Amino acid sequence: MSSTLLARFAQNVFWLGRYIERVDNLARILDINETYARVSHGEPDWGHVLDLYDDTERFLQGHDRTGEFEVLSFYVLERDNPASLAASVAMARENARSIRHLISTEMWTHLNTFHGRVSALNRRDIRSSNISSLCKEIKEGCQTFEGITEGTFFRGSAWHFHNMGKYLERADQTTRILFMACGLLAGAESDALNTVRWNALLRSVAAYHAFRWVRPRGHQPRDIVNFLLYDPGFPRSVNLCVTQFGSHLEDLVVRRGQPRFPAVEDACKRFEFSLNTGLGSRVTASGLRRFLDDLQRAVNRVSDEIAVAYFGIN
Amino acid sequence: MFGRRGLGHTKRIRERLERLDLAALRRRARDAERELFNLGITFTVYRDRDAIDRILPFDVIPRILSKQDWHLIDSGVRQRVTAINLFLHDIYHGQKILKDGVVPAKLVLGNPNYRPEMEGFEPPKGTYVHICGTDIVRDHRGRFQVLEDNARTPSGVSYVIENRHMMMRAFPDLAEGIPIADVDDYGRQLANALAAVAPEGIDEPTIALLSPGVYNSAYFEHVFLAREMGTPLVEGRDLVVERDRVFMRTVKGLEPVHVIYRRINDEFLDPSVFEKHSLLGVSGLFGAYLKGNVTLANAVGTGVADDKAVYSYMPRIIRYYLSEDPILANVPTNICGEPEGLAKTLDHLSELVVKPVGEAGGYGVVIGPRASRRELAELRRKLKADPANFISQPVVKLSVCPTLLRSGVEPRHVDLRPFAVTGDGTWVLPGGLTRVALRRGSLVVNSSQGGGSKDTWVLV
Repeated sequence: MSSTLLARFAQNVFWLGRYIERVDNLARILDINETYARVSHGEPDWGHVLDLYDDTERFLQGHDRTGEFEVLSFYVLERDNPASLAASVAMARENARSIRHLISTEMWTHLNTFHGRVSALNRRDIRSSNISSLCKEIKEGCQTFEGITEGTFFRGSAWHFHNMGKYLERADQTTRILFMACGLLAGAESDALNTVRWNALLRSVAAYHAFRWVRPRGHQPRDIVNFLLYDPGFPRSVNLCVTQFGSHLEDLVVRRGQPRFPAVEDACKRFEFSLNTGLGSRVTASGLRRFLDDLQRAVNRVSDEIAVAYFGIN
Repeated sequence: MFGRRGLGHTKRIRERLERLDLAALRRRARDAERELFNLGITFTVYRDRDAIDRILPFDVIPRILSKQDWHLIDSGVRQRVTAINLFLHDIYHGQKILKDGVVPAKLVLGNPNYRPEMEGFEPPKGTYVHICGTDIVRDHRGRFQVLEDNARTPSGVSYVIENRHMMMRAFPDLAEGIPIADVDDYGRQLANALAAVAPEGIDEPTIALLSPGVYNSAYFEHVFLAREMGTPLVEGRDLVVERDRVFMRTVKGLEPVHVIYRRINDEFLDPSVFEKHSLLGVSGLFGAYLKGNVTLANAVGTGVADDKAVYSYMPRIIRYYLSEDPILANVPTNICGEPEGLAKTLDHLSELVVKPVGEAGGYGVVIGPRASRRELAELRRKLKADPANFISQPVVKLSVCPTLLRSGVEPRHVDLRPFAVTGDGTWVLPGGLTRVALRRGSLVVNSSQGGGSKDTWVLV
């Protein structure tokens, strides 16, 4: 009985993993941008966040300026924006609701409470003095969920789909966080300011100390980019996400007896190939941007093939 | 606060409650309600574009049934379910009871819930009603009487079990040392009963729970039951029928399903046979059922047995099939479709409760003594226009139970819905759902109309 998993439930649990990871990372990105805004003393660039999510056009349909309040409202509060925290947490909950009988009561209860908190957020919560603590709270909400999941979710096919969703989304989100670095590579800011910003970037993904540990004297932008992309021990590196994704897919087939699909494996191989060959030795802003675009396309391809193969979506 | 007279069996519990002051009771009640909300033990109300989750108001003062009371209810419910199953088998086969003139043929064959498609079909073990909820009230003389049978898709059992868990967390001290019948066995009993009625030759049947989906107000209960039974919670779109066999779409492809506990009504089950535009059902499901390749619980066409007009014949139905007197009495009922019943109803309109036959959830019920002159005139007109659509009953002075309210602890009217599960034999979950009318003087306990629920303790 436990090896049977409805296609729809696999899809729900996969997207549950993706949405939680997405919310966690969006909070990180808003947090970095707020920090950048604070250290630069000038008019901060909130349009940058719209760029890295490719949301500029959609945003301008409903807003006439890219000010801090407008962008934060768009990404935190607005339920009509499917990419907002409010909408993403609601989607996570909707997905969880469909598989409530499969996940643990503790997972559901936490998500239900977290959703209650996020849907009660209002304009006061996105004032710049509150943003940092808000982002912290959102991250902790997601991390608590993942902790509960680790400790209570039955290790069956559904658990593997959950992790596949999580790592695939995390790979995608790490490429978006690296997009922030493109700005730094291109910028003509003073070295001192750049150092502050690179450190903020590392801190936003809890990588600052780990990076120091691995490269005590390293400081070149290239070192940081390489660390975030490839370090096999850093839990958010694209490389680690790909490895984890692949190992859950393999367990799904080998240990849980689910079918193997060549199209899925092919998409995974192409993803790994792009990751390992695309970025040349010289890291430039435009080169990195192209590389990240390619990676995001590769992630989408994997996700699409999974949907066709396992969720029965054409 | 909790009454001084009354029965000895509640004495210890009353004494313990008396020791808690009102503030302490309220604090525990508030914590319990918050926990129910966070756990998502809710029903969903849709308003505009927002889905609002509400908890069924939960009263922390338990309703207590003595061992003797429970023995009576348990045997009475089992007797009734047995008779209902025999009745359904008969009306879909030889129709002896109709030919013998015990129940008017028109009442059964002309009933919108009678399914001629079921004639001659033999369900496994002869069971039509696998899950039955029997609404029972207690009158001012302390007699238990059946108010209604729910033989289609009765709901509420999840609250029985969740209320108990909640009580044990919020009031661990209240029940200490008092033996109370356990309610945790429901999922296992249900799974076993459903496995017992699987199609012949299937040793390890796959059971699925068929739900209308997350937007159904009882979705929490569907989740609860699927989890308690360890079965997949499916929707119509997850199932497919090929060559009269039912399959579900899994990540591996199609896998067979043998028993379906369906929580959708007959008319939405199969768009190729019943309601054509139903998106909830599965095309071909009824065909697979008639071929005996899948068992549906409850069977199709059970609604004729819980019809409010057929209800009034239940004592005669019990005597007819079992040659026994009913253990639980009916509330005396006038059938307005019969001239005598209509005349009685019209003569005593202001003293009677008049109920439309086809409605559920307490809708359309008029309580004579509480109705205005204009409401009574309107009712009189409706009765004359379509008498067969109504029954009438005397106002039962429902028993009361102490209930925590804003104004303090006060008596409020309660009813009881025990749940019976039938596979090979019939088992009744000890206790059942106690619903309480929270408004002063109100007799309507339905959750859609201001009712709440209580934990029901059966002493053993």
